Formats: sequence, structure tokens, C-alpha cells
Amino acid sequence: MSYTAVLRPQGLLAAAENGFVYRFAAMGSPCEVRMETRDASLALSLGEIAEAEALRIEQKYSRYLKDSCVSQINQSGGKAVALDAETAGLIAYADQCYTLSAGQFDITSGVLRRVWRFDGSANIPSPEEVEAVRDRVGWSKVGWHPPEISLPPGMEIDLGGLAKEYAVDLAIQQLRTVSDTPALVNFGGDLRVSGPRANGGRWRVAIESVEDDSGTEGVIELSDGAITTSGDARRYLFKEGVRYGHILDPRTGWPVRDAPRSVTVAAPTCVEAGILSTLAMLHGRDALTFLKSEGVKAWVLS
Amino acid sequence: MQLIQSTPAALTRTLGLLTASLFAATGLHAQDLSPAASHSAYGPSPDARTPSSDTNSDLGLTRVDTAILFYQEAGGRVKATEPVTSVTFNGSDGEILSVKLTADSLTGATPNGAAPWKATQTFISPSKSKGVQTTTTSASGHSQTVTLPGTDIVASQYTADPHVLPLDYGFKDTRYAVDLGYSTPIDSVTRLSFGGGLSTERDFKSLSGSFGLARDLFDKNTTVSAAVNLEYDTSNPYFGTPQPLTEMSALEKGANQTKTVINAVLGVTQVMNRNWLAQVNYSVGSANGYQTDPYRLISVVDGTAGAPVRYLYESRPKSRIRQSLYVGNKIAWGPTVTDISGRLYHDSWGINSVTAEIAERVAITSALYVEPHLRYYSQSKANFFRDYLVDGQTLPDYASSDSRLGKFTATTVGLKVGLKVTANGELYVRADSYNQVGAAHPATAIGDLKTENLFSGIKATSVIVGYTFAFQ
Repeated sequence: MSYTAVLRPQGLLAAAENGFVYRFAAMGSPCEVRMETRDASLALSLGEIAEAEALRIEQKYSRYLKDSCVSQINQSGGKAVALDAETAGLIAYADQCYTLSAGQFDITSGVLRRVWRFDGSANIPSPEEVEAVRDRVGWSKVGWHPPEISLPPGMEIDLGGLAKEYAVDLAIQQLRTVSDTPALVNFGGDLRVSGPRANGGRWRVAIESVEDDSGTEGVIELSDGAITTSGDARRYLFKEGVRYGHILDPRTGWPVRDAPRSVTVAAPTCVEAGILSTLAMLHGRDALTFLKSEGVKAWVLS
Repeated sequence: MQLIQSTPAALTRTLGLLTASLFAATGLHAQDLSPAASHSAYGPSPDARTPSSDTNSDLGLTRVDTAILFYQEAGGRVKATEPVTSVTFNGSDGEILSVKLTADSLTGATPNGAAPWKATQTFISPSKSKGVQTTTTSASGHSQTVTLPGTDIVASQYTADPHVLPLDYGFKDTRYAVDLGYSTPIDSVTRLSFGGGLSTERDFKSLSGSFGLARDLFDKNTTVSAAVNLEYDTSNPYFGTPQPLTEMSALEKGANQTKTVINAVLGVTQVMNRNWLAQVNYSVGSANGYQTDPYRLISVVDGTAGAPVRYLYESRPKSRIRQSLYVGNKIAWGPTVTDISGRLYHDSWGINSVTAEIAERVAITSALYVEPHLRYYSQSKANFFRDYLVDGQTLPDYASSDSRLGKFTATTVGLKVGLKVTANGELYVRADSYNQVGAAHPATAIGDLKTENLFSGIKATSVIVGYTFAFQ
């Protein structure tokens, strides 16, 4: 499989504090790259590099795009699919995370969303409905013989929990290879900085409020590394006094009970931060204990 | 909110190793984080414009004129409400004292100077306090904006939709003005006049004074006059005066700026015959100092596609010399009075303009009159007018995209209706429709800017309702 689609950059450069911000849409989210430079053409080219990376990852790993690598695996009808090196690397990583998390991080859990629609309603699926899809969930059922993957019919993989964070990390890497311009890459709320700001200071990032659209819950300052947030602020079901957040436990097929409203995690890379914030949510009311025991820098809103 | 931090444990350490092998080439593993408080903000607000009105006078009477002007620009732009009251005391010896009080309340949006574009444009400007918009991290997939240094002045931002002229909605101001005038005959053929004015609003103050002399000649068939007007303006923009042609930013800018204006008018008024009065005025003026609009931007666009690359603050020359020649006629034809006038104007910024105006006052009954009027105006552009600048080209010394400095023609169509309700009292209503037409699609437009409407001129409607009365 080859993914060499040439995508025309669609983003826009605008003046921003101490430089520029380049904005575009990819992976179903607003994305931006903040750069501290006075050189507009440099900023534009850096923005376009980040956008190209985001679009490449989207094209390759979106489960919504018919021709994506993920769709080809999902439509393989049980036959083995040979993966390119990059995809094999990502799947191997997901495999390791599955083991590391004792099955909590599972890229086959996406089919659970067929019965769970988190639209704020009281439409809780019946235990039978959940049981029916649960047969189609479980990484251990997948044949994984790198670089070949054989997905049992009816099962699907979803790299949604990994791809956006992976794209942020790749974008930062690419930007650093071409320029030492201080940059912040934010794809739909998952972000990473290239290093300290031009004045040696820290970047400031606000944690979005879980209560409403406009507010923020505080400001984090960082001079290096990545930050991601997991939460169920807007995606949930509510029935008989029980709130069902959108974090589904792949081992039970049910939403995690008493999960924090939002968990923001800092880590050296965006991928790590993303997995840690997801795993913390999966620990439900023990999220805090988990994060403490792991010594992760995190902000929990419960 | 709870903050946790300690030393990495098993899972995290393993994850770190796995991730390091996923990104074989990444070389960073240190971070530094600390929580900080959030702020709050309100938007800035820019410049103001001034409509005007006039006063009457009658010998031996005191006249009061109270009016309210409503002004509204199309497209949700500037909206003004202006109550004006003037009192004119006409002394028995021919001396006249007038006092005029004005209050302006302006709201709405004003073009920020940037060219429209096919995608959403975001502008950043300084603001104070409330809800800092920083880059946000969120689970909902939103990514928000703006990273800030540690000062009280924070950034606020606003956007312009695709294909829409970028407007700054922070436009809101209230202006108060007082004008005083005194004129007195010093002998049977000579009249002396003095005047003074003060106008103040949040970011602009203006002080003016005038002196004039008029002398009747040839059995009062001819009057020659000369007047000098001086004005001193102080501009103290919200968050300071930006350095011209530097990038739009949320940083606090430089100090207040001032401008001085001196203007002289020479005039001749001639009674041509019993029904015809003619007037010729020549005026010359010089303005020196800050004449740039501190809030106005100009887009710098990419040389092929025309996409905005950055936004600079505009820049105008410090000196402007204006000259104009005005010819006016008032002609009475039975029950009607015709006002017909023309004006030629030239200034050192390269603007030449022509104005032609006609108004016809028709008495319907002894108590009711109507006065339709028509005005045509056409101007050439200032030599530094640009719809936008092109990235990579040498910056000019001066550049502005203000449509008022561009080439356009404007027509005004209006009607005034006056009704005498008492012997000395008149109720009047005047409505005007003003329409500017300019180069929306200049032939030189680059790339996709060819299809954008680059003319930011206005269409406006104004209505004045007033009541004037005189008493002994």
C-alpha cells in the first residue's frame, strides 16, 4: 500500500502573539500551529509542513475514509493484510500498550460504539445488545504476525485513540528538522511544544472547562513536552441518575463508572500523554490513584 | 481540580521506552509544568466619526434648535445617535452669540482595513482582563487560541467570515462637544467673529479656535470675508499608538500623538440681482502630525494566490495640505428657492475631488415646505492608497486601505420637510440616503482576490428630526 496523495494546503496564517498562528482543519478537529518568528514565509511553510503531516495521517488512518489503511484492514474479510513499516510500527505499539494495560487499551473496541451512542439521551443499550458486540472486541482475537495482521470477520480496528497524538508528535519532529523556531502544535486539543519559547519562557495552555464552552479551568505552563486531555464533558448518556461517560471499558463493553470529568496529562510525547489520559479515565474513580502511582503530571477535574 | 506529580512508575516508564522506539528519532524527555490562574477581558474600541448639523439666526431673537440625528450604515456597521441642541442669541445691535452642545453615541463595526478572503481570517488585538484565550487542551476536540506573555494586557481576537469584509466589532464610543461662536459688527460695514470648540471622546480630543472678519462693499452688494481656524488634536488610542507598518499584535503600543491644523478661507459673496445671491470661497489648510488611523490594518498578501500572510498597521504621511474652491448660488424663483453649488478639491496626498449639489426648496403652503436635494461627489485616490500590500515587495513609506482615501463616487439623495407649527416654531425632518461606489474588483487584483469585493465603502441612511423656535 502506498500513501502519496498530494494534498493542497488549506490553512491560513494569521498574526499572533510574538509571531504567527497557522490554522487548518484535519482529523475532524480544528488544528493550529503557533510559531514565534517574524518571518511570515517561514511560518507559512512550517504551518504547511504540519498540515501536510496531519492530512497524511488522516488519509492513512481514518476509519471514515474508504481508502485508508485502516479501512483496508477492516474490510479484509478475515484475510491477512501485509502492513507498511509505519503502520506495522503503530500496530506493534498498540499491541504493546494492550499488554501493558492488561487489555484496557484496545484498538478493537471501536465497534462498541455501534450500540453506545453518547448523545446526552437515556438510550442505554440492553445487556444483550452489549454482549452481542462484545464478541467482536478483543485484541487477543486478532492474528498479529508482524508485519501481517489478520482481523476476524466482523471485527474492526480504530486508531482514533492514537493517530491524532501520533500526528502531533510527527509534526513537531518535522518542524524541528527544518527550523529551530519555537512552535506549539495543537491538533484538536492534543498538543506538544518544540521546546521553550523564544524568550526562554513557557507556553501557556488553558484547560477547557467541562462546564461550558467558553470557560477555562486553569492554565498550564510548559516549556517542553506534550499535553492531552480525555474526558466526557459533552459525550455521555444519563439514565436513572447514573451518568454514563463515553469512555468504554473494552473488557466489559460498558462505560467506566465514576470516571473523572476530564483528565489532562503531561508527558514527553503526545502519544504517551494520550494513552496515559485514556488509561486514567479507564480507572474510573481510581484515576487519581493510578496517576499518582504512575507519577504522571496530571490535572484531574472530577 | 487536583494536581499530581511525583516520580515515574512502572507503566509510565515502559510506555516511555515503547514510545521512544516508535519515534526512533525523538530526542526530548524533559518537561516543566505548573498551573497558573486565568484572567478576564473586555474588547477594545476604535475611532469615531462626526456627523454635523447647523444653526439659524434671526435678528433680535433667541433661537433654540433641538434635533436628533440617527445614522446607520448598511451591513451592521456604524450606528450613531446624536442629539444636538443649539441656542443662538441675536442681540439688538447685531451681535450674535451661539452655543451648541452635541452628544454622539456610536456603536457597531468598522472595517479594520484588511482585505476579504475566501477563508476565515483571525485578528488579534490587545485587550484587558477576562477569560484569557490561550491555546487550550480539551477532550472535546476544540482547539482554541492565543498564547500570552505575562502582562496585564492580554490578547483578544475576532474573526471575519469567508468572503466578508473584515470588521472590527469593538467599535463603541461616546463623544461630547461644545461649540461657541460670537460675532459682532465693529462698524456699519465690518463684522468680526470668534469661535471656539472642544470635543472629547475616550481616545480622541480636539480643541479649536477661529477668527474671522467680513466687510461689506459697494452698498452691501458685495461682502468679502477672511477667516482663520486653528485646531489641536490629541489621539490616545486604546492600548497605545502602533508603529506604522508593523505587524498587528496584542502588545501595548507607543505614546499619544498630536496633530495641528491651520486653515484659512477667503470668500466673496455677491448679490447678483434681487433673486440671486452668489458666493465664491477659496480655502487652504495644512495639517501636521499624526493622521494615521491607529486601529486600521492593511493586509499583506501572498503574491500569487492573494492569501493573507500578515496584517500591518497602516501608515499615512504626517503632512497634508488641502485646497478647495467653492461656488454657491441661491436663487429664488417665485415660491421656490434653489441652492446650487459646486466644489473642487485638491490635496497633497493626491486626492482630487468634484462635488455638485442641488437643493430645491418648494413652499407647498405658507406653513409647509419640502426640500429635495441631490449631491454628487467623485474623488481620485490618494497616492498611497492600496487595497493590500504584496509579500516580498519593498514596504512603501505610506499605505492605507481606507476606502475614504480610495477612488469612489458617492451620491446623496435626500428630502427635508418643514412645518411651521407656530409663528416662530418649525418642526423639520430630513432623511438622506448615501451611497458610495468604488473599485470592487480592480484589474490588478492578485489570484483569488479577483473574486473578492475589495471596496469597503459605505451605504448609509440618516434621519434628522428637529424642532426650532425663536423668542424675544
